[in-house]
Amino acid sequence: MKTWHWIALGILTVISLVLEFTMLAGYDSHWWNAIPGFYIIWGFLSCVVIIYVSKWLGKLFIFRSEQYYDR
Amino acid sequence: MIVDILLIPAVVVILGAFLLPLLPEKTRSSAFLVFPLIALAMLWQLPDEYTLTIPFGSYELVPVYVDSLSKIFGTIFAMIAVIGGIYAFHIKDLGQQTSALIYGGGALGVTLAGDYFTLYIFWELMAVSSTYLIWARRTEETDVVGMRYLLVHIFGGGVLLSGILWHVSSTGSILIESLPNVYSVSSVLILLGVSINSAIPPLHAWLADAYPKATVTGAVFMSAFTTKSAVYVLIRVFPGWDILIWFGVAMALYGVVYAVLANDIRQILAYHIISQVGYMVAGVGIGTEMALNGTTAHAFSHILYKSLLFMGAGAVLYSTGKSKLTELGGFANKMKAVVFLYMIGAFSISGFPLFNGFISKSMVISAAGDAHFEWVTLLLLLASVGTFLHTGLKLPYFTWFGESKSKITVTPVPINMLIAMGIGAFFCTLFGVFPGLLYQFLPYPVDYEPYTVYHLVETIQILVFTFIGFWILRKKLEGDAKIALDTDWFYRKPAPAVRLIFVKGVDRAFGIADEIILSITGFLTEKFKNPMLWLNPFTDRRNKSDGYSPAMDVVMSFIMLTFIVISILYFL
Repeated sequence: MKTWHWIALGILTVISLVLEFTMLAGYDSHWWNAIPGFYIIWGFLSCVVIIYVSKWLGKLFIFRSEQYYDR
Repeated sequence: MIVDILLIPAVVVILGAFLLPLLPEKTRSSAFLVFPLIALAMLWQLPDEYTLTIPFGSYELVPVYVDSLSKIFGTIFAMIAVIGGIYAFHIKDLGQQTSALIYGGGALGVTLAGDYFTLYIFWELMAVSSTYLIWARRTEETDVVGMRYLLVHIFGGGVLLSGILWHVSSTGSILIESLPNVYSVSSVLILLGVSINSAIPPLHAWLADAYPKATVTGAVFMSAFTTKSAVYVLIRVFPGWDILIWFGVAMALYGVVYAVLANDIRQILAYHIISQVGYMVAGVGIGTEMALNGTTAHAFSHILYKSLLFMGAGAVLYSTGKSKLTELGGFANKMKAVVFLYMIGAFSISGFPLFNGFISKSMVISAAGDAHFEWVTLLLLLASVGTFLHTGLKLPYFTWFGESKSKITVTPVPINMLIAMGIGAFFCTLFGVFPGLLYQFLPYPVDYEPYTVYHLVETIQILVFTFIGFWILRKKLEGDAKIALDTDWFYRKPAPAVRLIFVKGVDRAFGIADEIILSITGFLTEKFKNPMLWLNPFTDRRNKSDGYSPAMDVVMSFIMLTFIVISILYFL
């Protein structure tokens, strides 16, 4: 990841936030629309939760060695 | 009547499978493309509400029923048969070519079927023909996997047929119509049979088991036909069955969790079929016009981008002979075209604006939102984070970009594979940029605009921060050289016990019964060779059964005795 990649992502986020607070200020069809930047939180949290919960489940009982069924 | 049957688009494709072996080998790959194209042209010639009926016993079969729903599904099946045919253009294996054609014809037949019997016949054709696409790799492992795949589908077909027969005997109608949301024996059996093909957990394990093992070209067909034809039947028969909403959401998340754990690239994609079909199943469950439109559109988009992704993963397997994340990495420069085209598929499935996933996935999610299933909406958004995370980031990063984990020799990919991927990528982008092209053919009038400020803000925020989350935690996502247990454990692990009880046990019981009967027969033969030996213990005369028998003496004396007794009684 080069610096300009991060800058591009930052610009995109800023644009989305500006749009959210200007054009979507009065938008209210779900309860979470009241939370500013909700989709930022939801996207990031989902990503973390998916990785950790899946890996945890894997270690808990899902992972087996590749020869598991051949034995 | 024969002419009528020949005019069924599905039959044309299947007839192609019979004609193919008669053609010279050089022309077969081109001929392969002709039949689905003819079927596509025929399908578009048929007017809406066209119905073909053929009397069959005391029933009227409806092998072709065309409306906007069957037309759009039929179109995408025919299209993908052509694209898959181009991808497999270099293949010289007649078995794979014919079975792929029958498979495509089966999917088309299921889509156009107006009655349950026709549907069932094409349903089973699909199961049998697709199995060969696994067996065609001809390894010991794929022999076993193919057999498992076939057995599961034969079981599913059996459940479906039982449901159909029950339905026909209780209603007297064989026509495919939407069933009321009532749990009767017949509707539950039909739902179960269709659920197996739609890979709804816990009935999904066959998919993740079989698809990664299919041939490079076979997996492309498989990713398109089986699950999506089942989704079509769900839309037709079970719209608004609310149980499907939660099964759909569970599916969408289930596929995501397992995609984290999977190591084989085509297995990651296979688990994402389950996840994506989850959106469609949930859409069917919501059952509003917008949800059914969304489901249809998403099935259409999904077939395009998922086959593109499978083509990309297949190209990796073709050129390196490897398909595990733990063995790949660091050769993006050697297959730039494949990476580029794969990424178009990945952007599409992740729902990037300007690609076709965006215009269909958002429709299903919005339908959930409009119907006020708030948690369904949020959980489907969570699943779409997982989609981008795996198909868009983890898979390409560890396959092509990350550090190389083994010595990899890259053989060039045939040009036809790239052309097929190019066509797939073209359509993914086309429908993404011009959603109206797809929306006008959906079953209900579309009152939906995907490119709104709200959707764009939502998508940008989710995707950007999924990427940031991935980048921070990417070490965690490295492949594990392990397998993930799934519900196929329930029929794979006890297989030796099942064999012991149902094969060896039964065998042994028959063996013992056999021995007992043989010894009884021997004993009786011995004894009845000359019953006088034991009937008359006072003699040890050897008698011949064909000569004079002392038994006659007994009979004669008995008659004489009776005569004397009766005479005495009479004269007294």
